Amino acid sequence: MKVLGKEDTNQEKKNVNYLTAKEVRRISRENRKTTDEFEKTRERKNVSVDEYTTIMKNNDNLMEVENLHTYFFTDIGIVKSVSGVTFDVPKGKTVGIVGESGCGKSVTSLSIMQLVQRPQGQIVEGQIRFDFDEYIYDLAKIPNEKMQQIRGNEISMIFQEPMTSLNPVFRIGLQVDEVIELHNHGMSKEKIKNRTIEMLDMVGIANSEGVYKMFPHELSGGMRQRVMIAMALSCDPKLIIADEPTTALDVTIQAQIMDLLRNLKNKINSSIMLITHDLGVIAEMADFVVVMYAGKVIEKGTAKEIFHNPLHPYTVGLMASRPKIGGLKAGKLYSIPGSVPNPVDMPDYCYFKDRCNRSMKKCNGAYPPEIYVSDTHMVACYHYLDSEEEKHD
Amino acid sequence: MNSSNGRNEVPIDKVDSLESPNNLKEIKIDENIIESEANLTKDLSDVQRIKVLSPGMLVIKRFIRNQLAIIGLIITVFMFLFSFVGGLITPYGETEVFKYIGTMSKEYASVTLNEEFRYSVAENMEYNPNMHSNFILSRNKGENTFTYKDENYYISEVGKDFYKVFRLNSVAQITYIRGIMGVTPFADFNIDENLNELIKNALINGSFQFYYQNNFYVLTQNGRDYILGESVNVAFESLLITEPANPNTNLGYEFKYILEDTLRNSNLNTFELEGNRYELNEDDNMAVVYKVTSGGKEEYALISQLAIQPISQDVFLSIQFKEEMERAISDEKDMFIYPDEDGNDVEYTISRLNNVYTIKTETKTHLISMHEKPSYQHWLGTDKHGMDVLTRLMYGGRISLVIGFIVVLLETILGVIMGGIAGYFGKWIDMFIMRIVDVFNCIPFLPLMIIIGSVMDSLEVDPKIRIYYLMLILGIMSWPGIARMVRGQILSLREQEFMLAAEATGLSVSRRIFKHLIPNVIPQLIVLASLGLGGIILYESTLSFLGLGVKFPYASWGNIISGVTTAYEMTNFWFVWIPAGMLILLTVLGFNFVGDGLRDAFDPKMKR
Amino acid sequence: MTERANGIPNIYKHKNEVEDYVIEVKNLKKYYPVSSGLFAKVKANVKAVDDVSFNIKRGTTMGLVGESGCGKTTIGKTILKLTDKTEGKIFFEGIDIHELNRKELRKIRPKIQIIFQDPYSSLSPRMPVGEIIGEAVRDNKLISADKYDDYISQIMLDCGLQVYHKERYPHEFSGGQRQRICIARALALNPDFIVCDEPVSALDVSIQAQIINLLKELQDKYNLTYLFISHDLSVVEYISDTVGVMYLGNLVEYSDKETIFSNPLHPYTKALFSAIPVSDPEIKTERIILEGSIPSPANPPSGCKFHTRCNYCMDICKVEIPEMVEVENGHMTACHLYHKKQT
Repeated sequence: MKVLGKEDTNQEKKNVNYLTAKEVRRISRENRKTTDEFEKTRERKNVSVDEYTTIMKNNDNLMEVENLHTYFFTDIGIVKSVSGVTFDVPKGKTVGIVGESGCGKSVTSLSIMQLVQRPQGQIVEGQIRFDFDEYIYDLAKIPNEKMQQIRGNEISMIFQEPMTSLNPVFRIGLQVDEVIELHNHGMSKEKIKNRTIEMLDMVGIANSEGVYKMFPHELSGGMRQRVMIAMALSCDPKLIIADEPTTALDVTIQAQIMDLLRNLKNKINSSIMLITHDLGVIAEMADFVVVMYAGKVIEKGTAKEIFHNPLHPYTVGLMASRPKIGGLKAGKLYSIPGSVPNPVDMPDYCYFKDRCNRSMKKCNGAYPPEIYVSDTHMVACYHYLDSEEEKHD
Repeated sequence: MNSSNGRNEVPIDKVDSLESPNNLKEIKIDENIIESEANLTKDLSDVQRIKVLSPGMLVIKRFIRNQLAIIGLIITVFMFLFSFVGGLITPYGETEVFKYIGTMSKEYASVTLNEEFRYSVAENMEYNPNMHSNFILSRNKGENTFTYKDENYYISEVGKDFYKVFRLNSVAQITYIRGIMGVTPFADFNIDENLNELIKNALINGSFQFYYQNNFYVLTQNGRDYILGESVNVAFESLLITEPANPNTNLGYEFKYILEDTLRNSNLNTFELEGNRYELNEDDNMAVVYKVTSGGKEEYALISQLAIQPISQDVFLSIQFKEEMERAISDEKDMFIYPDEDGNDVEYTISRLNNVYTIKTETKTHLISMHEKPSYQHWLGTDKHGMDVLTRLMYGGRISLVIGFIVVLLETILGVIMGGIAGYFGKWIDMFIMRIVDVFNCIPFLPLMIIIGSVMDSLEVDPKIRIYYLMLILGIMSWPGIARMVRGQILSLREQEFMLAAEATGLSVSRRIFKHLIPNVIPQLIVLASLGLGGIILYESTLSFLGLGVKFPYASWGNIISGVTTAYEMTNFWFVWIPAGMLILLTVLGFNFVGDGLRDAFDPKMKR
Repeated sequence: MTERANGIPNIYKHKNEVEDYVIEVKNLKKYYPVSSGLFAKVKANVKAVDDVSFNIKRGTTMGLVGESGCGKTTIGKTILKLTDKTEGKIFFEGIDIHELNRKELRKIRPKIQIIFQDPYSSLSPRMPVGEIIGEAVRDNKLISADKYDDYISQIMLDCGLQVYHKERYPHEFSGGQRQRICIARALALNPDFIVCDEPVSALDVSIQAQIINLLKELQDKYNLTYLFISHDLSVVEYISDTVGVMYLGNLVEYSDKETIFSNPLHPYTKALFSAIPVSDPEIKTERIILEGSIPSPANPPSGCKFHTRCNYCMDICKVEIPEMVEVENGHMTACHLYHKKQT
């Protein structure tokens, strides 16, 4: 029976795995229909300001992402990269978004910047409220030309790969100058240069005058990342999105950059959205932590809450599966079985259920609701449903 | 059935999700359930949960999304159908020449007054044009002998512009001393009394020439003796021309001689020869000879000073026709009517140039349908050889495509081998092969082809074999591009970790090359080959256009265009060159689109 | 286990009576010539590996730590003879593998295997998984044809793959599973020694632990010896028995795991250890931040290569290259700070 079952599996798996031409056509047709509709709305001219003006729920927040859904209409089906993400970025604080590859953390940041590759990628639902002091806009609905002014001015980004983020044919100074000039129209050339050198000094580049005249290839990875940070800071943004800023760097350089970011955090009044898979980096940098899994926020809270009292089995497992220096010396390292699911055609139950070591009967039901165990600490797991009910009672 | 990762301890409470072999069988039958099949495998981290596109489907998908590539594919498929299937469907052959029967004013005969002597040779005699010219010379000088090859020939004027040419046969030696004559005949020559008497008289009279029994005799002194020479007719020369009424009749020397003789004798108009009676009917310029038989008389020959000659060898002019014509000429008419074999009246026109009259008539002939305008029979008309342009285009496409494919195959094989060796072994081998590639890239292709083309022209290479040579040369000249690409690709693949791993596992070199390297180069090869195909077709067309490639009678798009060379042909016979040009353009465009589409489809960076 | 690769001439054999070392690296140097100009004149050498020696005992794991460009990957490749050495000797079970001819090398190849960092580029994309794993087994005739299928299935199950995966192509697998395929490919050849070149760096955190556990399990089961190359100190600490720290082609510190982690001696090791982020927002460790970036290996600093970034830099460091000295039992380091203590 077992052998037979195995064989059946083999056969069945083989058949299931590839989409048939018919299915592919159907998916393409449906995708085109949906994306065309979204594009039509996007391409409209003269969208009235009322349509994307909104109000903040909490005035201490710089940005409030609410129920954000970003889908990719791909050939194999709808990839729900971000499905129902809600989190706040308070003014002047650092929010760390942590998760494994494909969990939707990068897509979230791209959605905020409106850099999701269209027409495949679309923000389907949700709001991204952003406080621009005089007005509050919903970035999910803002028209392109308006967004262009916001990008780089109000929100700037630091990328993972400092090698490719700088244009190799222009001098460093020129590239930073350009950003400053864009932000400060009518500033004299002399002043711009001074400001650039000031910025380079600020990110800890010792020979700032020299670096001003250098080409990107003359700099090491760490130096380039510093230049990128200087560029991001130079227009005095309200929000800096740092997408894995240290992943490509060596350990000692990573320490330098993290040290720099931590120092800058206190100097500037921008909020930082730090995206990384490294819990260590998050722990050192972030005030608030958002843990994402398969396009959903499974746990969020202050750094202290998350690291001292992780609730979701995934967060717990993630922390346990990192060997700690001076920690476990022998025996088996804790590991979460299975792998990160591909966010296509997700079922309506806890996405982590199959890998979870604490799954219960209840877990087969609908996707668990957001459960607040404290004012700031949210977890999406049935294990804590009771505690919330108790609290409410 | 176990879930794939063996973690089936997860409780499953929904009955419909329980997977039993029975359920699976049902699923296979019912299509609607297949939709929800993904949900049957409950484990989210299982790769099998999601259906993905197979690599082939992924390529197809990207390809289909590229509209230009699809256009290119349609063009390419059309070209294939057009060339390979079209050639089978078309009712005409590749080199079938189309003709039509049309009337045409054609020279029929020419008439001129003969002013040259013509000769008739007696049976078993030798008389050639040299002797004829000697005769002319002697006659003009007024001499009556000429010598040809140590032999004396005698001319005797029989009538006006009628000469007999004869030579002497020594028949006897005659000794004559003081009235006593001794005759010693040679061989079996028989000298009768009369002849004896005549010789004697001649010797006495000192006139050395006499006639006897239609023969002419001459005495020539040879020392103290005389040699008696009997005349033998060699030929006669006359300005008149005798032609038989029936082309199969051979008139013979005797007949002609007697005829001429009779004609000049104004008293006579009949003569007899070999038991037949002939009658003459004289006109101004000619005389008709009738053979009198028991049933009456029939036309037998015509004698005239007019040289009447049909233009075509196979036309025989009847005597009546000639008479009619002669009458028309002498009446200075410019046309006459004469019935043809079927009894229909045919009009003949006469035109004169100097002494030559030319008779023209509207004759029916097979004409080649050159540059015929497009019609129902020939959708794109015909070319200058009278061949159907559409059919030629189909066969031309066949040759162009076949050449394209074979050349690309050849250059790919060469390129992969050379590039593969260079890329895999590196070091000096790479250096060496790449320098060869450089040298090949430096060879000026077109001049070389022109030289090779003209060499093949002078060697008169068969057009069919020429096509093979063309393929070979194009293949040899174009492999460096492929080799360069393959080398580059292999150099980068060689540094890939899977190649290092393959080396570390101790796989043999050949296995590493053929199982690991080459399969990874194939997508790029396909792209390059399809792009190259367009280029080769263009090259072939260019060469054929210049007359260096595919030669007539084989069709190729290039040489179809080269059939049009003048501005007149270009403007008036657009249906010959525009379709061929369009086909070249479309095919090359099609292959390039397909190649570009394939490149984008194979390129994993083109994630869309 | 099949028999040892036989037919290796004895002259290359190097006896070591004291310890059962699987790998002995003696004064290994690997220079890459930097040539310039038309006629390839050697201008300088990139000293990727500069005089490195270490031994690995059977059944143990040596961790090799260092930043990018320090030459740790080059050591791995040189041990496998995927690149040629410049100087020095590498003994595998007493056989100097760089002295072997092509035929002998092919025989010994299956015994030494490698697992790469990038599970995407290390699998031939146009081959089914079963073929990737079994190809070399068949090519080297390690197993009889009738047992072949079962053998490959067993190896796949050992590495956490399913038997039906045999027919699949690599692109259908996630990173973690690809790395399992890489491990299976190496394991199928029944090696004694595996070089793990950053095998978990490209993987997600939750998958890293699975792979590390797998490597450990397999080591216990088959008595494997590993050279574990990584820049991730916490992973190295977990898996290794001995640890070597490299900086710009030099081994700067080498000891057993417990000693080196409890008492790092070399200033670079110290800085490296303190740079690891701690997953606790409350603990704010005083961190040794190294100034500047790693110098180019084509033009390394004189004397001790680390002196440009060292917090304890002395005059002697700029001139003299420090030698490897044994500070305590088995704990070696190359730093002038400890030379003084000794003398």
